[in-house]
Amino acid sequence: MSMKNLRPRTGPLVLLGILVGWYSIPAQAVPSFARQTGMACEACHTVFPELTHFGRTFKANGYVLDNLSQVRGINAQRDELLDLSKTPPISIMIQISETQLRTSVPDIASPDFNARSQNGTVGFPQQISIFYAGKIAPRIGAFLQLTYANDSATIGIDNTDLRFANLLVLPHDHSLVYGLSLNNNPTVEDLWNSTPAWGFPYQASNAAVSPLAGTQIDGALAQSVAGLTAYVYWNESLYVEFGPYRSAKQGSLNTLTGQAGPLDGAASNVISGVAPYLRVAYERNWDRHSIEAGVYGLDVKLFPGAALGTPTPLAGLTNHFRDVAEDFQYQFLGDENIFTVTATRIYETMHLDASYAGDAVENPSDDLTTARIYGTYYFRRKIGATAGYFSTTGSSDAGLYPSAGPNSAGVITSANNAPDTRGFIAEVNYLPWLNTKLSLQYTAYTRFNGGASNYDGVGRNASANDTLYALVWFAY
Amino acid sequence: MLKILVSISLVLAMPVRAAEPPATVEPAPAADAAPAVADAPAEVAIDPAARAQASRLAIGVCGTCHGPRGISQQPKFPRLAGQNANYLAAQLHAFHAQTRGDPDAMSYMWGMAGTLDDSTIYALAAYYAAQPTRAGDSGDPAVVARGAAIFKDGIPSESVPPCATCHGADGHGVGDFPRLAGQHAQYILKQLGSFQNGLRNVAIMHGVAQGLNVSEMRAVAAFLQAQP
Repeated sequence: MSMKNLRPRTGPLVLLGILVGWYSIPAQAVPSFARQTGMACEACHTVFPELTHFGRTFKANGYVLDNLSQVRGINAQRDELLDLSKTPPISIMIQISETQLRTSVPDIASPDFNARSQNGTVGFPQQISIFYAGKIAPRIGAFLQLTYANDSATIGIDNTDLRFANLLVLPHDHSLVYGLSLNNNPTVEDLWNSTPAWGFPYQASNAAVSPLAGTQIDGALAQSVAGLTAYVYWNESLYVEFGPYRSAKQGSLNTLTGQAGPLDGAASNVISGVAPYLRVAYERNWDRHSIEAGVYGLDVKLFPGAALGTPTPLAGLTNHFRDVAEDFQYQFLGDENIFTVTATRIYETMHLDASYAGDAVENPSDDLTTARIYGTYYFRRKIGATAGYFSTTGSSDAGLYPSAGPNSAGVITSANNAPDTRGFIAEVNYLPWLNTKLSLQYTAYTRFNGGASNYDGVGRNASANDTLYALVWFAY
Repeated sequence: MLKILVSISLVLAMPVRAAEPPATVEPAPAADAAPAVADAPAEVAIDPAARAQASRLAIGVCGTCHGPRGISQQPKFPRLAGQNANYLAAQLHAFHAQTRGDPDAMSYMWGMAGTLDDSTIYALAAYYAAQPTRAGDSGDPAVVARGAAIFKDGIPSESVPPCATCHGADGHGVGDFPRLAGQHAQYILKQLGSFQNGLRNVAIMHGVAQGLNVSEMRAVAAFLQAQP
């Protein structure tokens, strides 16, 4: 395929659909669990939202452990018909932020983009969420989040995980928890903080510049799919989960019916059939140490639909993404000192038959690899710091990572059509109370969208996107 | 989990609570025990169904921190295997009544014990009391020997009585006084600190801990951890 066959505007549209920036993935912890269980945050969290072993077990057991007065109902056979907390497990979360870019982005209202947009973006709020997080019935619990965010200025569904779980005691005193999770974001149901949905950075600016490239399992499908996964957690060590995900898009109307569906070619990136998700992890706890290693993956075929630039029927060719990932987590939980390392590496292969046929990408096949490693230290759960490295590399593709066209402001373009982005992130935190976090985070890019200097072809350097982000995070 | 509690409360017969304490019961030693503890029976008849449910609860819920049979691997959480049932019941009552105030008790056990009724408490106490014990790792022999001397003889110059007086010559506990043998040294150390600074409000142990410095506490803890 020659470059001139590419329709310049289709690339970004495809990207909008399939390469949602992993940077704005929200992550929360909820005091309603503390109210429900009667246990302080530290039982389940090192510092929120990172889970301890106990927190992982609580989640695997369906969020149902409770210490509240109940409204109960049984029948004559003593079957439980109702077991409802008298106090609903509701929580509120508020995030207020300020974002400073090293160099602000061009002001698109200025001639030739020679003026700069205002730097120092205040998010007040950046995000407000309300949660129902806790028990619904004896073996069913929910983590359900509604979020107002200042970028969309709307209230929408956020991370959701409805669970059924049951415990079996096996011979030799081994435990086996088995359950089902109905959730809307692959890995949101996972128990460790080394996988994307609950991985560091737990919160990041939504006013910074996000790189173009990201894998599917790394947040691209969040809140636009529904997954029903089944899992077992044997002896609080071996975790195996498997299940299908299917598109459950929000805000998509069928043009003919004006209803929420069926999904048609006016929607973007709709899963063809179902996408299988698999997770296997092993955890070992001893003394004050906890270590985990695992793999996870997703195989998803997407109809690009409107992501091709014009509405395109959800039939025929698809774009096939196969994400295979490995992860690692280590925690040391001292009474005063807490240390955590999380790492993951996601390898994605793309067979973009549909986009290639639609002239939206340069290559029929591409690949992308994301790797991250972070280390966190906390003293007395009050003062802490995280430092880490992140990297995304892959094959170049002028359709996926388009160059700046004429009269372009650049910034979200790639002069060499490469996805490579890497850099460092450092964060310091102070928690005057366990449910209040004050954060200062700095992200430094050594490479952005394929280059270090003039990466966008319009003269912007990777370091121009370096971001200082201050956050006040309340959860109550 | 709650089903377990509900089932226990449904299955267990009320007479457990009404049972008279046997004549051999000694007074509870701890002020951080709930008032009801003084009435806690040393031996109560545990309904077989309650015993089964307590086993399930201990393995599936308590076991996350304390180990499925009370041999916790993490020193933050005490080993409960072989612990005196009366002591366990007293502590669970104290957590339930929120009268034991050391930090981990407050953060974890106030919530955990919040829904436990007396029947469940006695069944859990019986479960752990019946579990086989295991000695922990042995530390520096010199430190252990020093700890052994303090345990057996006390420190007369500091008016520290021999620990063995109340906890038994082998550290297995006597009456309502808890078993210490095999306990995580770090846990014992932390408890001695909590007795000393009053976070655990136990008059007798407050007095004992006042006479111990950190080095002596470490020695006693190292000795006890290594005991079978």
